[in-house]
Amino acid sequence: MIDTASIMNILADTQLLSLFTSAAFIIVGLYGAIFLDNIIKKIIGIAFIEEGANLFILTLGYKQGGVIPIFLPGMNAEWFAANSAYPLPQALVLTTIVIGASVLAVMLAIAMVLYKKHGTLSASEIFGDKKIISRNKNSTSKNRGSNNFDDVGDANE
Amino acid sequence: MIELVVMILAVLGCILAIMQRDLLKAAILTGINGACVAFLFQFLLSPDVALTQAIVGAAIIPVFLGLAVYKTQRNDES
Repeated sequence: MIDTASIMNILADTQLLSLFTSAAFIIVGLYGAIFLDNIIKKIIGIAFIEEGANLFILTLGYKQGGVIPIFLPGMNAEWFAANSAYPLPQALVLTTIVIGASVLAVMLAIAMVLYKKHGTLSASEIFGDKKIISRNKNSTSKNRGSNNFDDVGDANE
Repeated sequence: MIELVVMILAVLGCILAIMQRDLLKAAILTGINGACVAFLFQFLLSPDVALTQAIVGAAIIPVFLGLAVYKTQRNDES
């Protein structure tokens, strides 16, 4: 039986709630990367998956009621080792965030090249999925031909 | 309790960014999500990661997405 005290205990557990948050990020990102048609939306979904993975790795090193992993003067070494957060995932996540931003920039550049070559951002039209094209034909065939891509260069023409 | 509010805001920004039709609004909502995740990193006892995430997730990634939207097309026509 769930009573009010156990619910308040769960809401005070930051580690468990952070794990649920990272799971929600990964689920929403997977939905966006798999089922959406726009390429920029797929890239945003991949960024959310990455953010969820970062949050998961960082949550594993969290200690409830602990201190940040900086050894300040006046601290006992035994007490610090028992009460500080684990600093190795923080160093790893710090690298992962920067690499993720660079990979997102490369993905966006490839999306811009695909838009310049095909004139659309729809993945089903670029990769030739006939079934999805026939299903979305009424909505996708309206806004074509508005390709004002003038200052990127003509490498692929 | 403030961690709970930040987590709910982060998940809400994530879902709204996926649901948007306008890609520029999706980019701005991605920035809101990144800022909330930066606060969450601060509450998870890692201020160095929070600093990096606040710069990268709240400023650099929305600017990259906005530039890509500006160079291609703004509406999601599917």
